[in-house]
Amino acid sequence: MSEILVKTEGLSKTYTMGKDRVQALSEVNLQVNKGEFISILGPSGSGKTTLLSILGCLDKPTSGRVIFDRMDVTELPEKELCKIRRNKIGFIFQTFNLLPYLSAIENVELPMEGTKKSRDERRKSAHELLSRVGLSGRERHRPNRLSAGEQQRVAIARALANNPTMVLADEPTGNLDKKTKYEIMTILARCTFSTAPKYGGLVVDQGTTVIMVTHDSDIASQTGKMLYLDDGKLKSHQS
Amino acid sequence: MLIVIALGFSMAIMISVPSGIMANQAATTSLMESYDKTIGNMEEEINRTLTLIECRTTSGFGQFRPERPDRTEYFLNESAISDVLSIQGVKDVVPFLEYAVGTSRTETRMGMEFTIFVTDYTIVGVPLNSSLIDNYSILPTNIAEGRNLREGDREVVLLSSNNTNYFGAEAGDEVNIKGSVFTVIGVYESADTRLYMSIYDAQTITDLEGKISRLDVYAEDESDVDRIASIIASIYPLIYITTPTDRLSQLERMKQSYQFMLQNAESTFSQTQTTAFQELIIAIVATGLIVLFTMTYTVRERTKEIGILKAIGLSNGNVMVQFLLEGVLLSLMAGVVGVVIGSMGAPFLASLLLPHINLFGMGPGAFSQSVTVTPNLQIILLAFGAVVLLGALGSLYPAWRASRTRPAEAMRYE
Repeated sequence: MSEILVKTEGLSKTYTMGKDRVQALSEVNLQVNKGEFISILGPSGSGKTTLLSILGCLDKPTSGRVIFDRMDVTELPEKELCKIRRNKIGFIFQTFNLLPYLSAIENVELPMEGTKKSRDERRKSAHELLSRVGLSGRERHRPNRLSAGEQQRVAIARALANNPTMVLADEPTGNLDKKTKYEIMTILARCTFSTAPKYGGLVVDQGTTVIMVTHDSDIASQTGKMLYLDDGKLKSHQS
Repeated sequence: MLIVIALGFSMAIMISVPSGIMANQAATTSLMESYDKTIGNMEEEINRTLTLIECRTTSGFGQFRPERPDRTEYFLNESAISDVLSIQGVKDVVPFLEYAVGTSRTETRMGMEFTIFVTDYTIVGVPLNSSLIDNYSILPTNIAEGRNLREGDREVVLLSSNNTNYFGAEAGDEVNIKGSVFTVIGVYESADTRLYMSIYDAQTITDLEGKISRLDVYAEDESDVDRIASIIASIYPLIYITTPTDRLSQLERMKQSYQFMLQNAESTFSQTQTTAFQELIIAIVATGLIVLFTMTYTVRERTKEIGILKAIGLSNGNVMVQFLLEGVLLSLMAGVVGVVIGSMGAPFLASLLLPHINLFGMGPGAFSQSVTVTPNLQIILLAFGAVVLLGALGSLYPAWRASRTRPAEAMRYE
């Protein structure tokens, strides 16, 4: 039986803006196993990004709790959450969010700062990660000299820098063409235990859990599991 | 870049103002010392010549008398020597002939014509009699080249170091003075334009045979001075007589004037210090505020980046240190610019920012001419340290605010 990595229980999030209250998430119960590659599908404003922020310890729920790696992270102080984000979680964003004044390799090294790795070890790891995402030889390039697909590869390498147990991807293919989308999905799938048919024959090399939010059903269908979020509520569940 | 230049200017003020104050203080001290020395020398000279009565045919500026056709009225006949010597209580009489050589030119100012006489040099004819030159202060003593005049010297001249520039000559050379050739026997160190020769030579080359322009009368006893002076005055009512009492009164007036100027200078200096202190406070506060606002703006502009940094695992401490370092780096760059501006522009900035010191008749504008503002290394290093410290302090709040940014909110910031 697969081990549960992250589980939410009655997760709700309400944003208050003056007198207005917006219910972003409502009683979300979710369970994701280690090494799974799942997608959360839903229209804009359905609460996908809010759910990802809470799962990624960037935000706290209004009610309910998140159990991550057997810990109730909703009760942890910021200092502990920071450690979890650094050591166990990787983030990938639709707009890549690379630091423009750093080179590709420096962007990848950034999350390793504050770990016990030496400068040489950080540089070596970053080289290997960039090589894994197919960017050997582009290490010194700044983001503005890379294509959108290459920038997203750098972002994936950065997300994998500290060998996380979970990668959270927010519309990772949203800004990419069809061919590049497939390449990015391949790279993400290779991080997981996923045996999605479209990636048949791929070598499983990480065992990282990948949770991806998207509004692209075609992309979502290529993951092992799809969840549907609508108006802050998890509507259905499909394998 | 503009921020760095603005901070650099703040630092330049921190360098220039204390440098200006130090230069002011040094100049004031130097002037006070110089004045004290002058007063001291005068006192010493007066005490040394308590039996001297100076008799001049002009009011003390005889050496500047221009050549003019009616010059005879400005001179006494040599017979005056024996007349004065015959006065009871007179020990010695030393005659001089002082004669200014130069050019006159006419200038029109505010519709009026003025004749200005520019002295090239002043001939001082002295009696080269060893009984006089050995016992009284007749000749200069600070000989820089050659030797001094002595008894029996003729057709030789003792130039001042200032005269050597005019004549283009040095000891041993020959010079032409009013059509006669003289050998430069020596040079004395002075900014004065007086040259010394035998009184007979002076009378010959100026066509003033038998004439003198000044008598130094020495009394046997200082208690006789006033009596002798009044007798001389009765014989020669047109000449100017100065006794030790007159010289002491003159010295007293100089001292009073000096005290007044000193008080004035101290008051001005105190005001300058207050202004400098206020300007320094303004520069310090401005530096801190510039860094504070710049870094606050930077933090706001980079909110999303802070969110990304936190999302990828950087701690509050990491974020705070990063922004603190950026503030310090900004102030370091400003420090370098400030050192350049401060070192090169200190004289200008100091004269612009500090009220001019008003000592010994120096008015506005005299500061830059008389006070050299040169920042020293200690001030530069102190100002540099202050700017870096202010950079760190000014960045503290923005850096703290950056570190406290909630990552989810920051990620949503556009």
